[in-house]
Amino acid sequence: MPGTSKPGSSARHGESASLPVERLRSRLLAKYGARITASQTQPAIEASWNDLPPDLAPALGSALRARGLERLYSHQRAAWDLARSGRHLVVATPTASGKTLCYNLPVLQSVLTEGRKALYIFPTKALAQDQVAELMELGRALTEAGGEGIRAFTFDGDTPGDARKAVRTRGDIVVSNPDMLHQAILPHHTKWAQFFEGLAYVVVDELHSYRGVFGSHVANVFRRLRRICRFYGVEPTFIFASATIANPAELAGRLCGAPVQAILESGAPQGERHLLLWNPPVINPDLGIRASARSQSTRIARMAAKLGLKAIVFARSRLMVEVVTKYLKDVFDRDPRNPPRVLAYRGGYLPSERRRGEQAMRAGKVDLVVATSALELGVDIGALDVAILNGYPGTVAATWQRLGRAGRRLRPSLGVLVASSDPLDQYLVRHPEFLFGASPEQARIHPDQLLILLDHVRCAAFELPFRDGERFGEEDLGEMLAYLRDEGLVQHQGARWYWVADSYPANAVSLRSVAEGNFLVIDTTEGAQTIIAEVDYGSAPGTLYEGAIYMVQSQPYQVERLDWVGRKAFVTRTRADYYTDAIDYTRLKILDRFEGREQGRGAVANGEVHLVRRYPGYKKIRYYSHDNVGYGKIALPDQEMHTTSVWWQADPAVLEAVLPDRQRAIEGFLGAAYALHHVAALRVMAELRDLGRAVGDAQGTWFAVVGGDGRGQMRGPDNEPLEAEGAGRFEPTLFLYDNYPGGVGLSAPLYDDARRLLGDARDLVAGCACQGGCPACVGPILAGDEHLASTPRQTALAVLELLT
Amino acid sequence: MADRSLSGRLGRLRGRTGAAGPSAETGVADSDAKVRAGTMVKASFADRVQRLMGGPAVRPRREPDESALSEALGAERIAPGVLVLDRTLDARIRHGALPLSRFVPDADPGPRQPLAEMSLRPDVSDGEDLRSPAVFLDTETSGLAGGTGTWAFLTGVLRVEGDGWRLSQYLLARLDAEPAYLEAVRQALAGAGTLVTYNGRAFDAPLLSTRFRLAGLSDPLRDLHHLDLLGPARRAFGRVWPDCRLATAESRLLRFVREGDLPGSEAPAAWLGWLRNGDPGPLGGVLRHNRWDLLSLAGLMPALARSFENPESMGADIHAVASFHQSRGREDVAWRLLESGRARLGAQALLDLARLHRRRGGWASARAIWESLVHGGDERARLALAKYHEHRTRDLTLALELARGLPSGPDRERRCERLRGKLAGVGVNADGDIELDGRMGLD
Repeated sequence: MPGTSKPGSSARHGESASLPVERLRSRLLAKYGARITASQTQPAIEASWNDLPPDLAPALGSALRARGLERLYSHQRAAWDLARSGRHLVVATPTASGKTLCYNLPVLQSVLTEGRKALYIFPTKALAQDQVAELMELGRALTEAGGEGIRAFTFDGDTPGDARKAVRTRGDIVVSNPDMLHQAILPHHTKWAQFFEGLAYVVVDELHSYRGVFGSHVANVFRRLRRICRFYGVEPTFIFASATIANPAELAGRLCGAPVQAILESGAPQGERHLLLWNPPVINPDLGIRASARSQSTRIARMAAKLGLKAIVFARSRLMVEVVTKYLKDVFDRDPRNPPRVLAYRGGYLPSERRRGEQAMRAGKVDLVVATSALELGVDIGALDVAILNGYPGTVAATWQRLGRAGRRLRPSLGVLVASSDPLDQYLVRHPEFLFGASPEQARIHPDQLLILLDHVRCAAFELPFRDGERFGEEDLGEMLAYLRDEGLVQHQGARWYWVADSYPANAVSLRSVAEGNFLVIDTTEGAQTIIAEVDYGSAPGTLYEGAIYMVQSQPYQVERLDWVGRKAFVTRTRADYYTDAIDYTRLKILDRFEGREQGRGAVANGEVHLVRRYPGYKKIRYYSHDNVGYGKIALPDQEMHTTSVWWQADPAVLEAVLPDRQRAIEGFLGAAYALHHVAALRVMAELRDLGRAVGDAQGTWFAVVGGDGRGQMRGPDNEPLEAEGAGRFEPTLFLYDNYPGGVGLSAPLYDDARRLLGDARDLVAGCACQGGCPACVGPILAGDEHLASTPRQTALAVLELLT
Repeated sequence: MADRSLSGRLGRLRGRTGAAGPSAETGVADSDAKVRAGTMVKASFADRVQRLMGGPAVRPRREPDESALSEALGAERIAPGVLVLDRTLDARIRHGALPLSRFVPDADPGPRQPLAEMSLRPDVSDGEDLRSPAVFLDTETSGLAGGTGTWAFLTGVLRVEGDGWRLSQYLLARLDAEPAYLEAVRQALAGAGTLVTYNGRAFDAPLLSTRFRLAGLSDPLRDLHHLDLLGPARRAFGRVWPDCRLATAESRLLRFVREGDLPGSEAPAAWLGWLRNGDPGPLGGVLRHNRWDLLSLAGLMPALARSFENPESMGADIHAVASFHQSRGREDVAWRLLESGRARLGAQALLDLARLHRRRGGWASARAIWESLVHGGDERARLALAKYHEHRTRDLTLALELARGLPSGPDRERRCERLRGKLAGVGVNADGDIELDGRMGLD
């Protein structure tokens, strides 16, 4: 149980361990001061305690005391008080602050004293299984304390058919995931009648992962869950647990459709925590090329291990885990007679292998762990001293979760974030306040996104007939049901809407995408027919075109045939020494302007746009040298989409005065769009691909791309090159759009935050270490352009200045 | 500006822009792009439409006319939206090649014992025999997906009444009449002892339970004994027939062949056609299909009972049936079935038979089986025979010779070593095998 260490023993421990951490930190600062862009020390925090609740079930109290828990941290007690009074709540406190107990305690109390039940939802299967292991342990402590045990079961795709009935009828706590709730539990709720009738709590851990499309779907799944609960006459209390984000209460409230109280103050003690932001040294100043993050991370890990410290390196990909592990093993595990000191831990390993690794880590047998985010959450691996992040994990919340891996049990700890050359990373190491200040990340969902909502109205109608006048989301339900009636799915009779189709709608709805259905990637090597991957509809045209190299576990496959209608790509294994990169261009037209205002010497607005994306071909790029070794044609239908967007325009007269050369103005807009795209993704907690960027004019009469020659080009509606210097009106527009049909609510906050975004983008470009522009600020530039009188970087900066 | 209605917005989100779409308004898209976009979008939309309704959206042409439907079906309307078709059948009615037997209530418990053992009894203290009366049940549903959105729109019930049979079919003709419909089904099940179905345990029963639960009614199936004939059919014929579907069972065991049957898979569309368009068309065919199902159930029950009594006469899997009897402690029956069907047994069945002989002291018969199997290269028989010679005939030389031919491994080494020791007069060592064989000798 996290957060249950005894203060006395860990304080002693802390003193003895503080020296090497301090030594490592001062050595790094002394030797590599120039690479460290910021450092911070968070002082040790004393625990803030509260008594165990007086009405705690005696067996539960004894079980806690038997594990050395005489008191609760203040936030655990606050959670208890809210949960027991039936208030929805979210606990958003740091990693290792004992969040699990915040929900386990009230849940166990209601199981033991009232015979009620609880549903735990984790975003992934592995997390659910870890949680059940922990509950079993608590259950054992309960029986040892003379109380009744508790029955906690996982319910997921691996649960065998003959065990499912026992889970439904005998489980006190059922631990599952949103996909199972959506596809297996709710559409069969009558089989779960007993469970629902007793349901007191719904626990949702890892709240911050429910954002974007996934979060929007899950909010609708919870609407359905609450509807089913009302049918069985219960109103369960929702308990959320979250990493630190800017809006936990708002997100939780949107997810469960009711006001949620937030607990943000942690009462858990924390050892002194040192943090360093590390930028690898520039090795080619002209092109702004830096040493790899990997080389820096392994160096820091080596130094830590040599000082006797236990360290974890987080890498962003499975491949990178293997590479870093190899480099470290080459140093520390050369003698096979000794037990290994370096351990890799990532998804894709067998569960038994992972359990063995976890045990070895807990037992302190391992000095260096190299892991992906598979180890980010929940899994208890015992105390570590140093956490090294090889690259920015993508969100501040995930960064803190990983850094929180070091310094458990009150020991001082060191965290180092090593930047890669991505713009996001480069921005971050130069803006420590982004990481060190109050969380800037707003997790956004849009449950009323029409396609998503309609999917779940279908599922809900299948589960229970809708009554006239019932509500589901913010749209007019009657209108949606009438639409479904016209599709032949429901029928209206006697003031109710009944599902009448011969289908199971939940099977057609994936919580991880918007509509349309995924593509299956089928390996046909040597006549086989093996499904090796699934690709969502939106990414398919850019990754599964015929001729594309598709990678699974760094094994390249080549797409032989794409069955667009059947949603299948047939691939074979290949030894190609190149990878492929699709060329796409996007045409946007503004359909509807929701709001707008003047900003800088231009205007910013947001609204609905119509987008056509075409994939004319792809480039073949050789590994390592990154030479372009050929082109291929792509024959795919145009992708059309309506979505929401934010856009910026400069006053044409001012633009003409500042950048009279239209060609250069276009390149300036493209560079500015590149920088804005990256900082915007950071701000709305999105993946880069959740947002799209485009430069064109507002009417869709022309758009700009980086052409084959590396220059910005103006193209007409049919992709034909246009002459930039014409007599016509010239009003370039920079778009950032929601890259999902209908949008998932990313553009509105971008509009609200537009001024800050532009400031961020300007800082990113202005503060870059390169000379004339590089992939870390305005995107790749042509060799020699850094010597222009006005470099691409300066041009982009000029555009950003105009818009700010 | 843009169409703000729900379907207009949905259409645009799905890229179904049509003539009034934005690209046409401004001429942004060139015709080539539009054609290509159009084909793509149309294909997926057509897909959708076809999948959903088999054609373009059709609103009900007329209000469904229940009295016309009852007239067409020869049914009676017992409540708004609930039709019943009741038929009394003669005791000697034929179904397939056989007259329907009233075996269930009449026969002595012996033959129905296996069926009773394979039925689901909510309370094990309910006794070993099938509880009478048996009531046959079969439903037609709006789909096979299961879950709360699947309707059991037709429930057929067949039971013995007086000297003959009574077959009642309940049809749900209006969705909001389901509570009344379910009440009628409940009454039809009143007094039932055992529910008899085909694949009902996985399908019909949970589906009906779900409907009762959704309607807020108590579930009459919960406390009923339930005999799902698919279980006995699979056990006795699973390795003999290509599949165990009802159609296969009835054609093999009853020699009943359906002519002009409406396939069960077309039942959902027939009912949905009625609901949407008030079209009674194929519903008559659905009712007939359901009647045939019920009659086959009634015919299959005695046929399956016979298959467990005398598998050979029914073409059943003798070994599987014998194993079932043995698992229920009827070793004599198992032995008798295997012995009388010996000519048709495979190696595993023969080994089982030899084991039964041995346990009955029929050493010579057992030995004969083992020897013939060893001759055919069977390792398990070789092991049994080696044990037999070591402990029973004490022909250690022969035992060793047999043991040498066993598959290599530590077991063979241990056995051979022990036999060599015995042959050299070293005496008996305390090996597990001896104790086991010692007991075996006492059998």
